[in-house]
Amino acid sequence: MTTDNGLREEDHGGKVVRWLAFLAMLFIFPLIWVGGLVTTHDAGMAVPDWPGTYGYNLFLYPLATWLYGPFDLLIEHGHRLLGSWVGFLAIGLCVAAWIYEPRRWYRWASVGLLLAVIAQGLLGGFRVVFDERTIAMLHGCGGPLVFAYATFMATAASSDWKLQGVSSHPPRAGGRGLWRLSWFLLIGTIIQLVLGAQLRHALPDTRPATFMAMVHLHLTFAIVVSVLILWVSIAVRRRGLGDKQFFRGVRKPANWLLLLLVIQVVLGIGTWFVNYAFPWSELFPWLAHYVIAAKGYWESMIVTAHQATGSLLISMSVWLVCRVGRRVVPLAQTPDLPTMVRSGLDSGLGGVGEIQAGVHG
Amino acid sequence: MRLIRIFGLQLVALVSLLGCVPSAERSSGYSYDPNGLHSASLARDAQLDTDGALLVSREVAEYLEGMFGTIDAPRLPDLEMAAGVLDMQAVERCSGPVGRKEDKIERGIYRKHCVVCHGLSGDGKGQSAMFLEPYPRDFRRGTFKYKSTPVGGKPTRGDLVRTLREGIPGTAMPSYRALEESEEFSQDVEDLVDYVRFLSIRGEVERRMLTKILRDGEKLEEDAQWPKDLLGTVLQKWREADGLELEVPEKPSWMHDSADVQSRELAVARGKELFESELTACSKCHGVEGLGDGKSQDYDEWTKDWTILAGIDPRERGAWKVMKPFGALKPVLVKSRNLQWGAFHGGGDADSIFRRIVLGIEGTPMPPVARAVNGNPGLTDEEIWSLVGYVMHLGRDRSSKSVEGGE
Repeated sequence: MTTDNGLREEDHGGKVVRWLAFLAMLFIFPLIWVGGLVTTHDAGMAVPDWPGTYGYNLFLYPLATWLYGPFDLLIEHGHRLLGSWVGFLAIGLCVAAWIYEPRRWYRWASVGLLLAVIAQGLLGGFRVVFDERTIAMLHGCGGPLVFAYATFMATAASSDWKLQGVSSHPPRAGGRGLWRLSWFLLIGTIIQLVLGAQLRHALPDTRPATFMAMVHLHLTFAIVVSVLILWVSIAVRRRGLGDKQFFRGVRKPANWLLLLLVIQVVLGIGTWFVNYAFPWSELFPWLAHYVIAAKGYWESMIVTAHQATGSLLISMSVWLVCRVGRRVVPLAQTPDLPTMVRSGLDSGLGGVGEIQAGVHG
Repeated sequence: MRLIRIFGLQLVALVSLLGCVPSAERSSGYSYDPNGLHSASLARDAQLDTDGALLVSREVAEYLEGMFGTIDAPRLPDLEMAAGVLDMQAVERCSGPVGRKEDKIERGIYRKHCVVCHGLSGDGKGQSAMFLEPYPRDFRRGTFKYKSTPVGGKPTRGDLVRTLREGIPGTAMPSYRALEESEEFSQDVEDLVDYVRFLSIRGEVERRMLTKILRDGEKLEEDAQWPKDLLGTVLQKWREADGLELEVPEKPSWMHDSADVQSRELAVARGKELFESELTACSKCHGVEGLGDGKSQDYDEWTKDWTILAGIDPRERGAWKVMKPFGALKPVLVKSRNLQWGAFHGGGDADSIFRRIVLGIEGTPMPPVARAVNGNPGLTDEEIWSLVGYVMHLGRDRSSKSVEGGE
C-alpha cells in the first residue's frame, strides 16, 4: 500500500524502530526527573556501592527495603533501576535498528545512543565509587545530552522525517536563517543547562562572589535563550504566512518551546524563591510570613522541575533543528534542489533517495 | 551524517567547556577557613600589618586542627570537656561529605542542609551568602539572635532546635520540621544543634585566640595552656545556658479570654503608650506606627566587628571594600521590623514576643527593655504584656496568632 506521496506505508520493522526510539526518549525524561530529585535531596551517595546496591545485585535488592527505606535510598536506587530500563530500551533500539532499519547511519547512530547511555551510567557509577561531586556535575550535564540524542533518534525515526525526505512540497527559500537560528537555540539551551548544573553541583567551598558570578551568567543566558525562542517563534510565524501546511511541522516544536519558556521562567523564579526567599516584604507583606520548608515537597518539586524543563528545552530544540533541517536545508545548500529531489527519488541515489530506498527496502 | 557530525562537535565543545570548570571537587579533605576578617580587623585596630595578621590567622587555624580536628573528622582534646554541651557522636555524624556507608547511617547532615548558606566553617560565607538578606549567621562569634537567655548568654538547646524547627519567616532560613516529623530523619535536627554548637565553639575559641595574640601580644606555643583554658571558658558558657533561660510569667487573663474586650483594649492602649514612650524607645526604630521606619537604624555586631572596630565607617560608600580581600561582604543596615506585617523572625506567639522585648535580639540594635525585677527599676510584667498585646495588635490583620484571636 502506498501513501499520497508515493511512499509505501511503514512496515512492521519500521514501527518497531520508531516505537523503541520513542520509548527510549520517553523514559529518559522521568530518569532525568528522578536524577534531579537525587541532586535536590543530595542523595547521590545514599547507596555507597556500585554497580550493586548494598552488596545486592541491582535487580535483586529487596523490594520492601527499597520502597519502605529512607527517601534518599528510594530515589537513588530508583534512579539506577530506571537507568537500567533505559539501557535495555537502548539495546532494544540498537538490535531493532540493525535488523529492520535500512539507513546505515541510523543503525550506527543507535549504537551511538547505546554507548551514550552506557557512558552516562558509568559516569553515575564513578560518581559513587569515587564520591566526586565533579563527576556528579558531569553526570548531570550528560543526562540531558543523552535525552537530546534520544530525541534526535526518535525524530529521525518519525514519519515526519521520512515524509519530508520524499515530500513533493518544494522546500522554501530563505530557510537557512531559521535553520541557523534553531542551531543557536540548541547550543544556547545546552550552555544554559551546563551553567545550571554548575549551580546545582557547586562545591561546598565555592566563594559567594564566584557563585554570584555563576548565577549572573545563568541569568544572562536565560535572557539569551528567551530571546532566541521568541525570535524562532516570530520567524516561524512570518515564514508560515501563505504556506501554512508546509510550516505546520516547524511551528509545533516552536510552540512547545514558547510554552516551555513560560513554564521555565516561572519555575526559575520559583527556584530562587524556595532557595533564597525574596526580600520584598515591603511590597508584598505576605512574603514576610513565608517559611521555606527544607526539602519540602513543593520546594523539591519546583527546583527539580526547573532542571527537568531545562532538559526538555534542549530536547525541543533538537526537534526544531531536525524539523527545520528536513524542510529547508537541501534548498539552502542547492538552489535547484527540487529537480535534484525528483532525480534522487527516481534514481534511488543521494541523501533523500537513500531514505526512499530504505522505506521501500 | 551531517547532523551527527555537528552534534558530535557540540559534545566535544561541551566537554571542553566542562574541562574549564575551576577546581575539581573533593567530597572530603576540606579545611576550615582561617578567620582572616577578624584578624585583619584586629590588626587595623592595633595598627599592625594586616598581611602579618593573616599569617597569624592561618597559624591559629592550623593549631586548632589539633584541638578540634578537621572538617571531616571533628574532635575535642578531651571528650570529658564536652559533657553537657556536645554529643560528639552527633557532631561526627553531621560532619564530612553527605552519604551513607554500609551501616546505612546518613552522614554529612550539615553539608546536606546548611553549608550552602552558613559555609563549611560556619562563617556565614556559604556560596549563596551574597543573595541573602540578612546574611547567613556567622556562628563563630558565638552570638545568637533568637534565644531565651539574656545578652551575653548562649542559646539553650531548645532555642536552637526551635530556630531549626520553625525556620525564620521571610528569610532563606528554612524550617526543618519535616525532618523532625519523619521517622528516618527525626534525629537530624538534634544532631545539627550539636554541630552548630561545635562550629560556634571552635570559631569563638579561634576569635578569642586571635584577640589574645594580636591585641594582648600572647605567644602561641605548641604546649600553651591558655588556648585550652579559652576552650574551657567557652564550653562553660554553653553549659550554663540552660540555667539562664528566662521564665516567661503567666499571661494576664485578657490574653486568654477573648470575651474580655474591655481589659484587652485597655492593655493594648497602655502598650501603645509604652511603645511610643521614651522609656522603651520602641518607636525610635520601629516608627510610631510600627512600620519599621524609625529614625534610628544601625548595623549588627557582626558588621561592626570589622568596620567600626577596624576604623571603617560602614555608611561611607565603598569604604568597606578595603576589607573585601579578607572575606567581608557589603555592610547592610539592619532593618527594624515592620510590626504591621505580623511576622516575627523569632516567633510570633505571645511568649516569644515577650522574650524578644525582655531579652532583646543579641548582636542587633534591638536592646532588652529594663524589667522591674529584684527591685530594679523598669517595666512591670503587666506592662510588658501590654506591650506584647500592642505589638500583636499592630500585626492583627496578617498574623494568625493575633492577640484578638485569644492566642
